[in-house]
Amino acid sequence: MSDNSKKWFSLNLNSKTKQSTGSCGCGSTTGGCGSSTNDHHISDKKFDEEVLTAIGEEKKKDGFDQVFEVKMDRRTAFKQLTASLMIGAGAVSTSCSVIAGDETKEKSQIDWEEQFKGNYKLMTDEEKNGTVERLVRSYQIRTGKTVNMSSQNAEENVLFGYAFNISKCQGYMDCVSACVEENNQDRNSQMQYIRIHEMKDGNGFNFNEADDNYYHEVPAEGHFYMGTQCFHCDNPPCVEVCPVQATWREDDGLVVVDYDWCVGCRYCMAACPYDGRRFNWSKPEVPEEDVNKNQHYLGNRLRKKGVMEKCTFCVQRSRAGKNPACVDACPTGARVFGNLLDPNSTIRWVLENKKVFRLKEDLGTEPKFWYFMD
Amino acid sequence: MNKQYNLRILVSAVLFALVFVSCKGHEEEYHSVMERIEAESENYHGVTLSTEQYLQELQTIEITEGEHTFLIPERKSQIKSFACTECHSKSLKELQDSNIGKKAHWDIAIDHANEETMNCATCHNTSDMDNLKSLTNKRIDFNKSYNLCSQCHTKQFKDWKGGAHGKNVGGWAPPRAALTCVNCHNPHKPHFESRWPARFNTQKVKERE
Repeated sequence: MSDNSKKWFSLNLNSKTKQSTGSCGCGSTTGGCGSSTNDHHISDKKFDEEVLTAIGEEKKKDGFDQVFEVKMDRRTAFKQLTASLMIGAGAVSTSCSVIAGDETKEKSQIDWEEQFKGNYKLMTDEEKNGTVERLVRSYQIRTGKTVNMSSQNAEENVLFGYAFNISKCQGYMDCVSACVEENNQDRNSQMQYIRIHEMKDGNGFNFNEADDNYYHEVPAEGHFYMGTQCFHCDNPPCVEVCPVQATWREDDGLVVVDYDWCVGCRYCMAACPYDGRRFNWSKPEVPEEDVNKNQHYLGNRLRKKGVMEKCTFCVQRSRAGKNPACVDACPTGARVFGNLLDPNSTIRWVLENKKVFRLKEDLGTEPKFWYFMD
Repeated sequence: MNKQYNLRILVSAVLFALVFVSCKGHEEEYHSVMERIEAESENYHGVTLSTEQYLQELQTIEITEGEHTFLIPERKSQIKSFACTECHSKSLKELQDSNIGKKAHWDIAIDHANEETMNCATCHNTSDMDNLKSLTNKRIDFNKSYNLCSQCHTKQFKDWKGGAHGKNVGGWAPPRAALTCVNCHNPHKPHFESRWPARFNTQKVKERE
């Protein structure tokens, strides 16, 4: 039935018109399109045959079979096979090989296990330890250096919150520098989680006219400064939109990303109303001597190309009781960090005694990042 | 008739139970984060973390001001030529007249309020050099010099005690430690200098061209 000389693909699913021969949609090779009338009504049996010819066996197959049992030429088949089996075959061959060294074997074993691990969010503590150990060992094999990586969970009775004093910030940007160094951000693209906005006195919060990349003596006359970063919303829209649940809110309020689960679709980047998220467009690079080796799986461990990242309130520090690097670096004391659940904490005092507000509060994102003034 | 009535009751009971259960299902969700904080901090019983290990290098003293108790850095050991009486054994007049040759404190110029309000003797006591003095001539220890500042800067003092002014060190976990006034402000010249930002993002400039 089908014309083998046809070199293009045409959809023929719901059409009752016979569309198998000739170069014209009406099926007629001679005369005008309207001239042939006898083929317009075909029997059900014939229709089924048509469908079979057009899409072949696919009609009876479910989604899985459609993906795996497609007809393809040898070249494509080999290509696909090689790609998906590269890691597996490599791992198996090296681990079975007698010639390959122990380290190579171990490395491919690690690669194999890392390739097929699950989402960190769903891991048990044991599995979390496992992946962290593998990552540490893998870094050791590749660079000969040892990092200290943690998989510490959220502490009970803790909800992290942040307050920023607009009166005090002078725009020195020491926080930005400290953040980049602490969190191993890509030096090539000069990624930074924090932005300090220079705003004109009297214009209020006007982000369109604000400058977040100034370079002159600060504080500049007639200007004030305010910083933005990830606000760790209690109702985070970025988490809602993630199609693979690679980002979520932890029990201590931190919104985190599993860099190994992220597929890089950047939905979260679009969903964040505060420009809190960053994307690795290229392979992030940090000079070996500048790598902060005190790491957390959900925090500042080294990232790869094509994944999202963002401020984690320095999870590697905050879960150890320390302040985030930006708080420690600020020379003016404009940044206050603490446990919102502790009635005696400084952050609670600020919330209860200063006039605080948040950005775009009407969106209902419930940021845990408050601004206040003296 | 009776059967229908029973059925109606049963259906409404099931519906009610469903609604009730589904509302209970969202127990953890609050209408706002403030509501959540209020509810969850009701039974707050502390955390296992402590910042003590990070404060070991810093010599601190504990102070209690009003309802706030926290640590501040010890000061006297940080002042290079303390105790003052090691040099100030005679009166200022005598020292100035004795012509030792070397000038002391030549680099200190007061740039704090104006001359009508402040001079050296506003804070320093010529008859008790090892201590500071309040406006009413009461003794103030160098370690607790914030008591001197708070005489005028009452608002800042209130914010500092609470944690809104000044810099907390060590970490967020207890015990709380904060820098004291003179750790950030030079008491003779307390304002912050203007300077250049720590960095400039050249990549951002390129991206926005």
